[in-house]
Amino acid sequence: MTTDQPIRDVALAWAMATRAPDFADWEGFAAWLEADASHAAAYDAVQYALEEADAVLAALPEPEPVAANDNPPGWLAGRRGWLGGAIAASLAVALTSVLWLAPGGEKLYRTAPGETQLIALDDGSTVELAGGSTLALEGPRAARLEGGQALFTIRHDAADPFVLNAGGERLVDAGTVFDVRLAGETLDVAVAEGAVIVDPHGEGIRLDPGERAVRAGGRFRLAEIDSEAVGEWRRGRISFEAASLAEIAAELTRATGTRFTSTDTATRLSGSIALDAVRADPQALGPLLAVRVTRAGDGWMIAAK
Amino acid sequence: MAPTDPLEEAYLAHRERLLRFLRARGGGEASEDLLQDLWLRLAAAPDPAAASGLGYMMRAADRLMIDRYRSERQATLREKAWAEAQPGMAEGIAPAPGPERALAARQEVARVERALAELGPRAAAILRRHRIDGLTQRDIAAEFGVSLSTVESDLRRAYAAILAVREGGE
Repeated sequence: MTTDQPIRDVALAWAMATRAPDFADWEGFAAWLEADASHAAAYDAVQYALEEADAVLAALPEPEPVAANDNPPGWLAGRRGWLGGAIAASLAVALTSVLWLAPGGEKLYRTAPGETQLIALDDGSTVELAGGSTLALEGPRAARLEGGQALFTIRHDAADPFVLNAGGERLVDAGTVFDVRLAGETLDVAVAEGAVIVDPHGEGIRLDPGERAVRAGGRFRLAEIDSEAVGEWRRGRISFEAASLAEIAAELTRATGTRFTSTDTATRLSGSIALDAVRADPQALGPLLAVRVTRAGDGWMIAAK
Repeated sequence: MAPTDPLEEAYLAHRERLLRFLRARGGGEASEDLLQDLWLRLAAAPDPAAASGLGYMMRAADRLMIDRYRSERQATLREKAWAEAQPGMAEGIAPAPGPERALAARQEVARVERALAELGPRAAAILRRHRIDGLTQRDIAAEFGVSLSTVESDLRRAYAAILAVREGGE
């Protein structure tokens, strides 16, 4: 049995995508299936083959991380460190920030939802990482925000500017305190001090204090923000501007560590929330945002009233 | 019937989309029946609030079709094995797995093992963390200290190797 290679490859790509717990493009998937009857058959064959292989995979002995020449040394060291720590402190590893050294000397920082971390860079700059966020330090003056939010207080050096990659965009500092939030494709950059150049090779948007650029749907929109409000999440407050209930739920989960969900992507709200009140009583959100908050398993469901 | 249950309400609201998805997924004539099966699964979900989300329902519909394919395929294989093992004998007695089948299974394990060994230790370890331990690609990227795109490309290579083994073996 041989399926046409290109169709099989697309089917495999869908099988990989649908496996992600946050996969949302069911419409796109359905459209691909509807395009040709052979697509469903190819997808079924791929899913079946992978699950059959799971049984084989599970039966194989667990691989030992032994020294081998084709092992990148950084990866091995990181993995070893984790294995050693796992015995004594598996809970701590799961709940607190972790740091690994990757092959290229990249350092990876990751916070659990509800947790924050202060990262001090060698040049005196600092990065405060919000809950549920991942930041990779690619070098002394380069970083990549893989998701979540961080406030950057960067020591400026015109000869060696600090460069941040976020959601495929390059942000270059010009003496700066700035906050970056990346949620899916939405990128939100706000400047408190100095300036940041967004997309230096393309449009080159310069953001001054009190300015904010929001990328949604592939386009940047400029907005104003009170400089004092930049990075306010560190003081236990988060703000939304025309955010859907689903987006608000995701942000609240990341900030508090309590699970909030919402299936409502249509209702949009603006406002500001003190997190302490929500931590103490998730249902306090109801009167704050004029929404309905109900218990859902170990978390809370937010719906429009 | 006046639906008062929020899960039932959500199911009814998404009914047409779910039916369309089941048809697209190859349900054909049986799609309406499959929708009933889907409802039974949703109604039995441990967390009705979570099961009310469209994403959850679509995933459950996809799972239903994966399970259906599996059971149909295994029924075909059993019949084939029966026909090969018991030519001309009466129906109703399940054939014991013959030595040929046990050998084929062992050969497949060896082939998958070899394919994984060829991938290199990181890709094999990433595949295991993802498929067996159920970690997301993002969590694996953090654990191994590599970028998300590295995890994705390792998984893609591993899957291609697995599919190649299975296609070669059939």
